[in-house]
Amino acid sequence: MNELSALVQFFFSGLTSGSVYALIAVSLVIVYKVSLLICFAQGEFFVIGALTMVTLTTKGLPMPLAFVLSVLISTIVGALVERVLIRPIQNSSVGSLIVMTIAISLALKGLALLIWGKESHILQPFSAGKPIHVLGATLQPQVLWIIGITIVALLVIWFFFEKTTLGIAMRACAENRLGASLMGISTQKAAIFSWAWGSGIGALAGMAVAPLLFMQYSSGLMPMVKGFIAMSIGGLASIAGAVIAGYLLGLVEAYTIGLISSQFADTIVFTLLIIVLVFKPSGLFGATRSREV
Amino acid sequence: MKALGRFWWIIVLAFIAFYPPTLGGMSAYKSGILIFVGIYIILAVSLDLLIGFAGQISVGHAAFFAIGAYVSGILTARYGASPVVALIAGMALSGAVAWVVGRPVLALKEYYLAMATLALNEIVVTLIIGLQWLTGGASGLRDVPAFSVPGFTFDNHVHYYYFVWAIVVLVVASTLAVTRSPFGRTLIAIHSDETAAKTFGIDCAGYKLRVYVLSAFYASLAGSLFAHYMGFLAPDDFGVLTSINILVMLYLGGIGTIYGPALGAVFLKVLPEVTYQFQDYELLMNGIILIIVLVFMPKGLFGILTNVRDRFFARGAR
Repeated sequence: MNELSALVQFFFSGLTSGSVYALIAVSLVIVYKVSLLICFAQGEFFVIGALTMVTLTTKGLPMPLAFVLSVLISTIVGALVERVLIRPIQNSSVGSLIVMTIAISLALKGLALLIWGKESHILQPFSAGKPIHVLGATLQPQVLWIIGITIVALLVIWFFFEKTTLGIAMRACAENRLGASLMGISTQKAAIFSWAWGSGIGALAGMAVAPLLFMQYSSGLMPMVKGFIAMSIGGLASIAGAVIAGYLLGLVEAYTIGLISSQFADTIVFTLLIIVLVFKPSGLFGATRSREV
Repeated sequence: MKALGRFWWIIVLAFIAFYPPTLGGMSAYKSGILIFVGIYIILAVSLDLLIGFAGQISVGHAAFFAIGAYVSGILTARYGASPVVALIAGMALSGAVAWVVGRPVLALKEYYLAMATLALNEIVVTLIIGLQWLTGGASGLRDVPAFSVPGFTFDNHVHYYYFVWAIVVLVVASTLAVTRSPFGRTLIAIHSDETAAKTFGIDCAGYKLRVYVLSAFYASLAGSLFAHYMGFLAPDDFGVLTSINILVMLYLGGIGTIYGPALGAVFLKVLPEVTYQFQDYELLMNGIILIIVLVFMPKGLFGILTNVRDRFFARGAR
């Protein structure tokens, strides 16, 4: 492998993890925009989506059906969590809300442990096929699936929030809760929908990447943290910012692992996060106004 | 009866003092659990200073726990330093780290603060894993000797039990003293309204920094105690999940009460020992317990206890 092909290889792995980070960041942004809440349980939906799909496919369901069902199940779980657990304390302090989402994360993780055990599971790739060689680097077909799914998901999100009445109503809640509720929009419903979207997209990220990773009940923490890093770099409440920052993070991480040090890649990424938070709390693409009061 | 309401702490102290020779039957297993309980009480109580009193959330308390443990472990196991010197060195390093990162990080609020502290915890853990030549990396650091002061080695678990709990009592007492001092009341003022506190001329950033450094000192102390008890250190014990566990203890017990988080630590550390045959259910149970506490009893276990006390011991007891 020469130097060019190594660089291309890192680019591919950057795109792969970047897609995952972008999707999770977007799922966090949607929940945050509508309910002003950052969900520490987002990584659990990532795991639940992936492991549900593993179970369904091993039970013999065809891939596309298993795919749709897994997204649906995660979406329902997310909506239920909002309705049953978040709503009763929605007016509490941010500290309690943070701890509540941590509690939800513990409970969902515990549930996943009971259902799927401690073992690691791997999903079969979405399509058979040999790895493709580009400039001496290998590209797994699944990576194309991941990128494709990300693009389609982003288009659907864009369509929903720009073109449908429900989406526009949810955006109104994000802009101005009181104003929206005065216009007859139910902020409660918007919050449920935002959780449904958030958990669905989080699950999608996990399912897309599951054929490349060993997934177990506790695999959700790192993707969630990386998703948050992308979200904060992107400016917390901007979907476009989150996507760009997600890919940026994936690429920076991949090249750091490849060129500088694999051991200290996370150290570097987390240090970057603190630096961004401290010096540019509105994110690198901080054109969006800060929501903090 | 009134006396019981006022002097309950004597009963607690007596229990701590007489537990090993009587009820505990000197078993290494039981005193081991209580040593862990003690170490976690120190962690929970010190985090309560930061969250419950100063109102600054941290999801990275285990970072300082790790620094204390590893400084103690490395200095004593690799360089043959005296445990007392190593313990002080650990506290100095933890304090220094807290002091350096504290000012910029504590200027952040809410989610940003939570994530920055979480990142700090991950940085420490990845450094421990990465700096293999120094820390033993992912496979761990072996052969940390028992704690000793010049002339005496705490190699007996009952001796170490008393040593740890003496420190726990000191830490709880000193934290209570801090919260009742003008310093502690200033923290509460900052917690309830930082802008108002600033208008009164309080140097909020300075106070937040000082309480952060103080809580780092305590966490580091807990780390050193942990290192000498375990004799073996692995990065897994100091990850974000540990920080989250401490946070759970805090909210379970009742934040801002010092006794509450201590109670939470006892509860969460003893419960798994009682229910060890349901080990797989532990995560789910912790989650559900915490959810119930947050929804139905925001003041935590300690809030329930004080309610019960107020009901039983007449109104004048306080």
